[in-house]
Amino acid sequence: MTELAVPTMALAPPSERGLFWRRFAREPRACAGTVIVLILIAIAVLAPLLAPYAYDDTDLLSAWAPPSPEHWVGTDKLGRDILSRLLFGARTSLVVSVSVLAITFTVGVTLGMLAGYLGGIVDSIVSRLVDIIFAFPDIVFAILLTAVLGPSMLTVIVALSMVWWPGVARLTRALVQVQRNETFVEAAIVCGTPTARILLHHILPNIVPPLIVRASIGIGFIIMSEATLSLLGLGVQEPQPSWGSMIRDGLEALRTDPYLALSGSAMLAVTIIGFNLLGDGLRDLLDPKLQVR
Amino acid sequence: MAMFLVRRLLGLVPVLGVAIVLTFAATQALPGDPIAVMLSDHSADLELAARLRAEYGLDQPIWRQFLTYVLHIAQGDFGLSFRYVHTPVIDVLWDALKVSPILALAALAVAFPLGAFAGSCAAINRNRWPDTLVILFLVAGISIPNFALATFLVYVLSIKLGVLPVAGWGSIDRAILPVLILAIPSAAYLARLSRTFMLEVLQQDYVRTARAKGMRERTVIWRHAFANTLVPLLTQTGVIFGGLLSTTFVVETIFNIPGLGRLAIQSIFARDYPVAMAIILLFTAFYALINLAVDLLCLAIDPRLRAERARP
Amino acid sequence: MSLRSSKALGLALLALIGWSHADAKTLRVNINADPSQIDPITYSELNSYQVLQQIYEGFTAITPEGRAVPALAASWEPLASGNGFRFKLREAVKFHSGRPFTTKDVKYTFEQLLRPGGQGGLSAQFLGNVVGAADLKAGKATELAGVKIVDDHTVEVSFTKPDVLFPIYQFFFMDSGIVAELGADWMTKADAGTGPYTFKQWKRGVEVDLAANPNYWGGAPKIDGVQFLIIPTGDTALSQYDAGELDLVNLPENTFRRALANPAYQSQLIQVPKAQVRYMGMNQNLYAPFKDKRVREAISLSLDRDAMIKGLYSGAGFRLNGQTVPGIPGYNQDMPALKYDPDRAKALIAEAGYAGGKGMPPIEIQCTDPFKDEITYYANQLGKVLGMQVTPKVVERATFIKAMNAGEVAFFPWGWTADYPDAMTYLGEMWYSKSPFNRARWSNPAYDKVIEQAQTEPDDQKRYGLYHQAEKILMDDWATAPLPATTNIALRKPNVKNATVTPFGFSVFRDALIQ
Repeated sequence: MTELAVPTMALAPPSERGLFWRRFAREPRACAGTVIVLILIAIAVLAPLLAPYAYDDTDLLSAWAPPSPEHWVGTDKLGRDILSRLLFGARTSLVVSVSVLAITFTVGVTLGMLAGYLGGIVDSIVSRLVDIIFAFPDIVFAILLTAVLGPSMLTVIVALSMVWWPGVARLTRALVQVQRNETFVEAAIVCGTPTARILLHHILPNIVPPLIVRASIGIGFIIMSEATLSLLGLGVQEPQPSWGSMIRDGLEALRTDPYLALSGSAMLAVTIIGFNLLGDGLRDLLDPKLQVR
Repeated sequence: MAMFLVRRLLGLVPVLGVAIVLTFAATQALPGDPIAVMLSDHSADLELAARLRAEYGLDQPIWRQFLTYVLHIAQGDFGLSFRYVHTPVIDVLWDALKVSPILALAALAVAFPLGAFAGSCAAINRNRWPDTLVILFLVAGISIPNFALATFLVYVLSIKLGVLPVAGWGSIDRAILPVLILAIPSAAYLARLSRTFMLEVLQQDYVRTARAKGMRERTVIWRHAFANTLVPLLTQTGVIFGGLLSTTFVVETIFNIPGLGRLAIQSIFARDYPVAMAIILLFTAFYALINLAVDLLCLAIDPRLRAERARP
Repeated sequence: MSLRSSKALGLALLALIGWSHADAKTLRVNINADPSQIDPITYSELNSYQVLQQIYEGFTAITPEGRAVPALAASWEPLASGNGFRFKLREAVKFHSGRPFTTKDVKYTFEQLLRPGGQGGLSAQFLGNVVGAADLKAGKATELAGVKIVDDHTVEVSFTKPDVLFPIYQFFFMDSGIVAELGADWMTKADAGTGPYTFKQWKRGVEVDLAANPNYWGGAPKIDGVQFLIIPTGDTALSQYDAGELDLVNLPENTFRRALANPAYQSQLIQVPKAQVRYMGMNQNLYAPFKDKRVREAISLSLDRDAMIKGLYSGAGFRLNGQTVPGIPGYNQDMPALKYDPDRAKALIAEAGYAGGKGMPPIEIQCTDPFKDEITYYANQLGKVLGMQVTPKVVERATFIKAMNAGEVAFFPWGWTADYPDAMTYLGEMWYSKSPFNRARWSNPAYDKVIEQAQTEPDDQKRYGLYHQAEKILMDDWATAPLPATTNIALRKPNVKNATVTPFGFSVFRDALIQ
């Protein structure tokens, strides 16, 4: 998780920001990513309106039906409409990832800022904590936590948050340490500005861009982790749909009824690709080192 | 250098110590009772349950159980499995230990050359079609979860085309799909890094000097530039290898490979604490050692870092 | 003998030798997980049972058709007192260790099953009525008083009260000299049985290997051994069968569709109804609405059993109208067929005061992971028809069984596979109020009385009449909603003969042959 460059971008004047958006529009990856992400958010929010059936409506006599005008992607083992479950599955992924992001960034940024700015014993404690959690292979840690707390959406959110916040904290700390040495911070200290104000009003806005990049790339991995946990049966439980558990159910029948596994895998893949494209695009735009030519 | 080594090794101890405590606490907190697992359909017999509990030392206060456990580990005794009655944990792990590292190493052996080469090609041809192609592969490789990839590949290669077997372990053709599926995300990650490193290197002065001296472009690129990206790339393999070990379990589950990852999951589900703890500790220790080894490698190779270390 | 005929004989002999030599092979079958242990005393689950069946034997054996035939007991007769049996053991039977099988081994096995600290498994429950069993379990005695050794091949077993089915209970007799020979962990090195196969090795997570026993009293097996490959996923097992790596594959429910739909498998299919009763447990102590018989009946009427058989099991299932199963003596084929009648269900629930589900607190329906689809269906269906708020909950197996045994689960589907070929294995063990396995905690004094009567009735026909009576009481009170049972489906390669699956959850490989 090495950061090759720590971009510093002071609050840009309006014309520069306009320039940013124009460059953004020309960057194909970022655009493609944005489109995918927006479609996903739309699906997740509008799922109840878009879905032709309820996601838990069983119809045993139509189990494993192939795609047809009634069921565009076919049905699963209990005769539930796959398309509806895919749409609601987007909701699950989004709810989990937004929650995890909210928690990890709140906790991670706060602790990272305190560690990076105050140094000393605060830094030691936080860094040690981060090192310890990093010493664990992350998925194993998440699995153990979900096994302890019992599988459910809440557990997945808690487990993934516990695994991801150290990375955010570490990045924030590094960013804050660079900022601390800037002249405008020194000036603020000399003026007697309280620490909290320095942190929130001066330093935080400057570290936002790399954090945004981190967030957009992070969502992809959070969605993947949630799907992995559901694949193992540790995630969201029936009858709530999750792409991971749909793939799990679909793998059993891959030979005769591939639509469930393939459609779930496709949705997952496209979604994560979308977020990663967006993140990559943002990173390229914000990283001065790669803008030589 | 020796001091550094000693300091780092000592630094491992608290990490492992905390790992042991956390794992122990986690397994204690697992809902479900290992005695119930042992008794299975028989759990109506409370008297028997009490006797078993005493036999396995599970009726001791937790702190004492913990101390006993740590003492035994220090002597290399990981105890008896709960699920496989009468069998030492080491025996249960032994066969699986031979499988997972091979799987991970094979995946790395495929991923490294693939990633390094692809990334460099992309950097050399920046903004032309090879670059775009590699970037697409890159993003897809990192984004598509390995089980989703497995679904597609198994469907196409094993089921529709019948080219490769669906599952199992023991022969080369069975290993192809699992190794491939493990290698692709790592290769993508390495390709991205390689591309970035290569782009940096290509702007260095010595590259321009080499060109100015009249060297052939191909020599410049491969002998000088590419070679210089390999070292930083190698330092990343530690992280990747560690990551590989913990993602083998999904692949092992899908392809029915008797490895450590699958065993760990099954042990957690079956409340076989001793086996689950032993595997998790093993992973953690291994992870930490790999990071240490990679750091040492960095130091050994790059004299500049060594000089920095020597400064007070 | 003329030259021609001796030549013919010689050729025939050569052919025989060549044929049997080329034939000798290993039968490969699948099990879905490691056995928890390969120990005849402590085993308690199906995978262990599968393996142990090939290695150990008891007084009687169960044929694939469901009859009990003599195995290690050549004959038996009731004792004069009426409370016990005298068994005459088969002579000239040797354990795999070489030691002869005699009555002391019978007594030893029974004592091992009952001794405190031992984990007497499924077989221990059969010894509950033997004189002295309680004392032995409590540690007050060191030997089992009710087992009297008359001579090396005659033994008398006495009971505290009549137990007419004792001879058909399944036991695994073990060699009493094995611990002295190999130590307390003998089961990791060898086995203590008399059966057609011996334990060779166990590679955890991979396979359990058995070798043929050339000295088996019933004739040496015609194959070299049996290999149980451990394959957790049904789909993988079927694929390995296709690839020729399995000779016989036991298929779990989630592969039925693939197996039944493929015409290529037709001639290789073995379909055997399971000797397993399935029921919906509704614990009246834990959920007030279950106390009302009308609610229980309404739940039963809301389930579309035919849709379940077609949708969940691809047609490989059959309806149960009571709690006995076709093929097991005591089955009542005249039980009235259960209906799927959502309208009447709604009416009944309204009558009970819970119209549209109002007033019924939300409840979880629990089961283990393999049944998650089933409980999801029940949850959804009961919501649709009755307006009940049911949430499916998957629970880890051991925790679930423990909770069920303790009577702590309110609402759950479960089943019971026959331990021996008589309907008492269901009616007594599931629904008799004093049975530890009465997990739904239903109790009815009239029912208990009939069961107790049946337990002492030696005449088969009279006893079956009592079973019919009991079953009628059971269903009139809507003790449960019987659920469809499934068929055991397996595929067997055309060159494999005399290997089959039985309704009881184990396979018989004694006479297996691979051509």
